[in-house]
Amino acid sequence: MPSQFIANGIVSGCIFALVALGFGLIYHSTKVFHIAHGVVYTASAYVFYSLLILLHLNLILSFIGTLVFSALFGLILERYIYYPLHKRGASMGVVFISSLGVYTVFVNFIAMLYGNETQILSSSAEKAFHFGSVVLTRIQLVEAAAFLLLSSLTLGFLRLTKWGRLIQALADNPQLVSVIGMDVRKIRLLIFSLGSVLAGFAACLVALDVGMDPRVGMNILLIAAVAVIIGGVKVFEGALVGAFLVGLLQNMVIWQVSAKWEHAVTFVLLIVFLLTRPEGILGERRRLEEA
Amino acid sequence: MALELQSITKTFGGIVAVDDVSLTVSEGKITSLIGPNGAGKTTLFNLISGFLKPDKGAIYYNNHHRLDGLPPWKIARLGIGRLFQDVRVFDRLSVLDNVLLAENNPCENPFLSLLQRKKMRRLEKENIKEAGRWLEFVGLSDMRDTLAENLSYGQQKLLAIARLLMGRFDLFLLDEPTAGVNPTMVKPILGLIRRFSNEGKTVIVIEHNMMVVLEISDWVYFLDDGMVVSSGLPDDVLRDATVRKSYLGL
Amino acid sequence: MNYILHLLVLLTIYLILSFSLNVLVGYTGLLSLAHAAFYGIGAYTSSLLMIKWKVSFPLALLAGVGMAVLLSLLVAAPSLRLKGDYFVLASLGFQVIVFNVLHNWATLTNGPLGIPGIPKPSIFGVKISSIPAFLAFSSILSACCIFILVGILKSPFGRTLKAIREDELATLALGKHITAFKIQAFVIACGIAAVAGSLYAWYVTFIDPTSFNLNESIFIIAVVLVGGSGNIKGPVVGTLFMILLPEILRFLRIPDTVAANARQMIYGALLIFLMRYRPQGIAGEYKFE
Repeated sequence: MPSQFIANGIVSGCIFALVALGFGLIYHSTKVFHIAHGVVYTASAYVFYSLLILLHLNLILSFIGTLVFSALFGLILERYIYYPLHKRGASMGVVFISSLGVYTVFVNFIAMLYGNETQILSSSAEKAFHFGSVVLTRIQLVEAAAFLLLSSLTLGFLRLTKWGRLIQALADNPQLVSVIGMDVRKIRLLIFSLGSVLAGFAACLVALDVGMDPRVGMNILLIAAVAVIIGGVKVFEGALVGAFLVGLLQNMVIWQVSAKWEHAVTFVLLIVFLLTRPEGILGERRRLEEA
Repeated sequence: MALELQSITKTFGGIVAVDDVSLTVSEGKITSLIGPNGAGKTTLFNLISGFLKPDKGAIYYNNHHRLDGLPPWKIARLGIGRLFQDVRVFDRLSVLDNVLLAENNPCENPFLSLLQRKKMRRLEKENIKEAGRWLEFVGLSDMRDTLAENLSYGQQKLLAIARLLMGRFDLFLLDEPTAGVNPTMVKPILGLIRRFSNEGKTVIVIEHNMMVVLEISDWVYFLDDGMVVSSGLPDDVLRDATVRKSYLGL
Repeated sequence: MNYILHLLVLLTIYLILSFSLNVLVGYTGLLSLAHAAFYGIGAYTSSLLMIKWKVSFPLALLAGVGMAVLLSLLVAAPSLRLKGDYFVLASLGFQVIVFNVLHNWATLTNGPLGIPGIPKPSIFGVKISSIPAFLAFSSILSACCIFILVGILKSPFGRTLKAIREDELATLALGKHITAFKIQAFVIACGIAAVAGSLYAWYVTFIDPTSFNLNESIFIIAVVLVGGSGNIKGPVVGTLFMILLPEILRFLRIPDTVAANARQMIYGALLIFLMRYRPQGIAGEYKFE
């Protein structure tokens, strides 16, 4: 595959990985299939747009403002939607439907406020850098750098700090954590704000890169969910592996077939994995139907 | 040998739940598994009925059917029935429906049930009759239309037993059949278990009630920490010093 | 008057959709987000056959169902033997893909421009063109579908589906091959949804991908959850409520540009509210919990 497509695939993978890392963090540790993660992403992009373009704030302030918004949005969803359901022992289906409801409400709210057309943030051409035969724009390089920075910070946090290890414990053994007396509420709030901030960050970068429309959230959410599943059950790093696989395969399809079919790749990849290796690339081989 | 476990081992994470367990169960006899909580008894049941796959070892049913590796529904079809520790009746279905489900009805195929309505109605009628017999047997006849969730715990146990009776199983795995049951119901349940045995069915019981164990068992296995510590006739095992110390606290 | 007849036709179409999704959500406990996709597959298959190859409507209808049945296996086979989340994701993915295909494969489906000029069905040479006649036709077709579904659900098959919904472990322990049941339920539900698709195509004579997108799947799920599932009253109540809701909203004088979005927001809010406070819907037997 020509190096340009590989490069594009890797850059896409970086963005997918950030969103997938957040989604996977939430899914593995709270078992919530957080479809509304997609609208946290979308809303963040539009908040960024509003701060940067409509309110004319500078780049840094807009960024920070958006990240604060993302964290708050995630926190509010957990506090008012997911936690009450968790407390009552609701099944994953109920939580999922609620999440779907949240997604629907906010995505349509955004569409009402901002319209359905694609919104771009800057019409000037981006500075391009040449690496041999590969051309990457400045924003693409920033995306890659952001990925490296944020994923290492996040994984480092999860593996090395006390709170991070609590999150891991919650993922492995939820009953044990509440027995030990750790405040599950606080851990969950942390998980949701962290995951949402990652999505928000990615959303800002993509907004700067290609702009946005109300539907971007669902597309990236699907990719994130598939990435988490094919990457590996119960392993946080799995999301990253899955994300890059999707990114590279999508670009391969764009190169070989046409850009119109890139989304089909995600689905086909999911089906292939469900048929052959449902526990994912990094997952432990075990009977998933096990009681 | 109705059932034979050969060197069965099962580990969860770092914990060895079942450690190189070998045991045999004779046809038509009542074998009890006793031991402290966490000894691996229910895990063994899960391994036998296919809900878990052993890491090592093999399980043989009637000498030539290899059970480990088969899915639970296939094992049930071979004739192995299970009474769960937490009963597991179908809450929002009626008592009658619960028992009817034990029958593996050819009309469970949706296309057949549409195309052969007459045959379906006939089979249903026969099944309902048989189900009625079993409900009467366990004493739940007048509750046949009640939702299972509205039964008392003891009644739900009886319902689960009626379900097992309807299912025409040959080997019964009963996980604490008398636990949580009204003392007056214990005798009838034991009577039922003895009847299974008299009719040539094989029964394996997990029990904590030593009176029950002494009264009905033909053979006893004492398990602790995932291993078989002692086995033999009920009196012998219960007199065994190690058993008395670690389990009965005597 | 015509307006009421129009609503009634919609009712017959959505009754088929809600009863068929009820088989999955209410009886088997499967959450499918792909129902609109199969609705669309039925519509597109029969329309294309009737326009391009002049196929008669019964054959076109059957072909639509057949296509839906075939494609449903694509979703069912890999995911139904695994735990619930995988199936939901697979159904969501399938829904998105189908929309993409309908939208992008322009040579086959005409893409976003849609397919105009779908012929009305004709019985013994008489075209069913007037609304009252079409209502009679769709009522009969709808009643047939409901009759088939109710028949299936009241049989031992339906009983086993309910058992699966209640307790999969206990069902397995009774010797039932759960995955096979789930696949059968899914295939049946999707096939019937395709019938609704053909009916819709014949009624509006113009279809495009936006009628069969994720929003539509969410709408159908809302219909099933609002009315309640696991019994026969539920889908009827739910369909009535959800068909009338947009009409009631019309009186609120929401500007046209945002009416669609506003409606979707209400559906979303309904879902959140239902899950939190009334999971059994208005008339359901099964508390979706």
